[in-house]
Amino acid sequence: MSLDRAFYIARREYVENIRTKGFWFGILMLPIMLLIIAIVPIIINSTKAPKSYTVIDQSGWLHESIQKEIDHRDFIHYLSEPIDSTFHTPFDDLRRLVNNEDAQSLSTITANLFSSPLAVSADFDALQIPTTTKQQIIKNRDAARQWWHSLSRQEKSKLSARISTNHFLLSRHKDLTPSALNKAIQANELFAYFKIEADPLRSSSPVLYVSNNLTDTELKSWLQQFATDVVRKARLKDKNVDPTIASWINEPLIFRGIQIDAEGHEESVNSDDVIRQWLPVVFVYLLWISILISSQMLLTNTIEEKSNKLIEVLLSSVSPLVLMAGKIAGIAATGLTIILFWGAMLLMILGVLPQVLGASLPPLGEIILSDPWFLGSFIVYFILGYLLYAAILVGLGSVCNNLKEAQNLTLPVQLIQMLPLLVMIPIGKDPNGLLAQTLSYFPPLTPFVMMNRAAAPPTSMEYFLTTLLLLISIVVALWVAAKIFRIGILMTGKPPSILAIIKLLRQPVVFQPTDTNNSFLPPTEK
Amino acid sequence: MSAPRYSLEIEGVSKYFGDKVAVRNLSANIPTGSIYGFLGPNGAGKTTTIRMIMDILHPDNGSISLFGGLTPANCKDRLGYLPEEKGLYKKMRTGELVTYFGLLKGLSRADAKRKAIASLEKFGLGHVINSRCDTLSKGMGQKVQIIATLLHGPDLVILDEPFSGLDPINVEIVRNIILELKQSGNTVIFSTHVMEQAEQICDYIMLINKGEKILDGTLEKIKQSSHETIQIEYEGDNACPKELIGVSRVHDMGKMAELSLNEGADPHQILQSLMGRIKIRSFQVKQPSLHEIFVRQIGSSAE
Repeated sequence: MSLDRAFYIARREYVENIRTKGFWFGILMLPIMLLIIAIVPIIINSTKAPKSYTVIDQSGWLHESIQKEIDHRDFIHYLSEPIDSTFHTPFDDLRRLVNNEDAQSLSTITANLFSSPLAVSADFDALQIPTTTKQQIIKNRDAARQWWHSLSRQEKSKLSARISTNHFLLSRHKDLTPSALNKAIQANELFAYFKIEADPLRSSSPVLYVSNNLTDTELKSWLQQFATDVVRKARLKDKNVDPTIASWINEPLIFRGIQIDAEGHEESVNSDDVIRQWLPVVFVYLLWISILISSQMLLTNTIEEKSNKLIEVLLSSVSPLVLMAGKIAGIAATGLTIILFWGAMLLMILGVLPQVLGASLPPLGEIILSDPWFLGSFIVYFILGYLLYAAILVGLGSVCNNLKEAQNLTLPVQLIQMLPLLVMIPIGKDPNGLLAQTLSYFPPLTPFVMMNRAAAPPTSMEYFLTTLLLLISIVVALWVAAKIFRIGILMTGKPPSILAIIKLLRQPVVFQPTDTNNSFLPPTEK
Repeated sequence: MSAPRYSLEIEGVSKYFGDKVAVRNLSANIPTGSIYGFLGPNGAGKTTTIRMIMDILHPDNGSISLFGGLTPANCKDRLGYLPEEKGLYKKMRTGELVTYFGLLKGLSRADAKRKAIASLEKFGLGHVINSRCDTLSKGMGQKVQIIATLLHGPDLVILDEPFSGLDPINVEIVRNIILELKQSGNTVIFSTHVMEQAEQICDYIMLINKGEKILDGTLEKIKQSSHETIQIEYEGDNACPKELIGVSRVHDMGKMAELSLNEGADPHQILQSLMGRIKIRSFQVKQPSLHEIFVRQIGSSAE
């Protein structure tokens, strides 16, 4: 009989929230901010002017070798750049062949293959690709190399964002004396210079790196890596080690991740799996922020209702329980609307983003939608988590007259609400560890922690017990909240302390319910 | 089915807030079809009593029975309540707001909507049906609240300080609404601390102070059982003299004054002594005003 009234109250709450411009503006802010955070660094990076540097080379050979090595790496970057349907280069067919195959091992081998015109190494022969493909690669490689060497620096830099000249530019200083270069650095004409000693193969001759900015080590590490590479090769050559043996020695050992699937078979880990592993973290954050927003909205709303003097009219029509239930339900609907809106935005952005960035991203949208259980549990955990915090905050909020009082009184709750963010990463790393398991049984954290653990699913028993505990807590919290709400909502003046509220709960005479039909909760005692 | 004699029977009701007594052992019977005034100074317990009738608060002792035996919780839909502190949902439209309160009182959607539009138009608010409540003037807002209170056709209407903050035109409108309710057989309880308003329309009054009933009954009987007073109108800047032989108290309103007489005092003598000191325009010996009764009663209970 009172359910329809609770529904009217819920609907009014919902409609009033949904139809304000501020509401939509507010919930639009999050996706926009996330988008800005994601895109701006990429744009800034791509528009950043390259750092200019130069090298004083007293060895007479190292600098030149390094530059050759850098140029060769740039060539490899070009070859391994994903094929773009709008940007064509002369050797796209060759690139397609190189790129088509399983990336890691092939790229190393192709790098070697393209580095020495003579060697078709044993590794290349051993590659599990069709012979015709191999023949085509070999047929085209010399032509490709020639074409590459004919290009100017500017032409090369356009071929891939990873080409080195987009980041570090060798400046053509004529006066290569330290004093002249120091001046250039001071005048900001030069970012840094390197000074290579006469015999770099000796262990005790460091390369000097001179710059006014020693915190940005990007350039230094980048050049160091090439220099080390070249020096190693030179040392091997110095000791008459065969170049093919030398490159074999230099080859890194490749590690491949394997996981066991549901049927107990081994399967290789691809990027989709990594995303599945970390996707729950994204959803925990979404869960956290939507529960936070909704429960805070309820708190604000309760206090507003109290201060706009309508509470008496409402209470003369419906019981406090119905009023409270209606309010909680109305804000829950608002929260679900926010989530659905964000979900839709997220899928839309994930659909559009790859085109905007011109980069290939894994099909996040498909991965998310392919797991209805995951999405379902998200909605369920939102509702349960929201109900728990809603009960606590509506009870406390009902005794306050303004937001400032409410903030003081609800501080402990708000601290607990921050916890999920703190434990999110540790639990994501070890979803079935002791921390994760223990915190799952702490009802205010259950929704977040269990969501966090979804990648390596907890046992059904854990799901059952934690959910049961959470449900019990919700019922208890709602019952206590209803008791406080009954008198709190009419209270004026200074809000009572938490202790005083607990004392109030022990005075049942104030709460005599005369109409138990109106209650959806266990009846309070007489 | 004939209406019970009393719409509301209050029987020995008490309410305490901690150690503070809000209402103590209060009993009253409110006849069906009457206009009944709850009078008393601020903080006397009027609002607490009303809240108990409305099932917003629960009495610690005693019982409240409505319409011949119902408890407040079981007949909320037959009651209409305009609280002292009045507010509206600022962002809601007037028509929606009135409809909403009708729904909460158990009207069907169609009924609530139809009645809301009809009532708003009846009270000259047809042009603001689609305006947001925060655009209404204070008087309009108060009218909207009264319309919302009465939309579901309550048998018993409780108005807490319905005239506060209204200009004379709106006071007149509200007064007419109350009289109309009475004519159609509804019972109206209203509380006020402004005695003149109660005097004009109440059939019955109850005077409350510090949570206790001081007197109740028909307005006529209460007036007859009190000493007569002298009521004068005067001109000039001089105040009405306070020290007069045979006068126990003077209630000076600036251009008018009410003089309370001692036992056996002679009105003629008093007129004479007044005439030497202020310019009298009218002089009447009559039943005391409710204000005078109020001051006498509250004054004596304070002593």
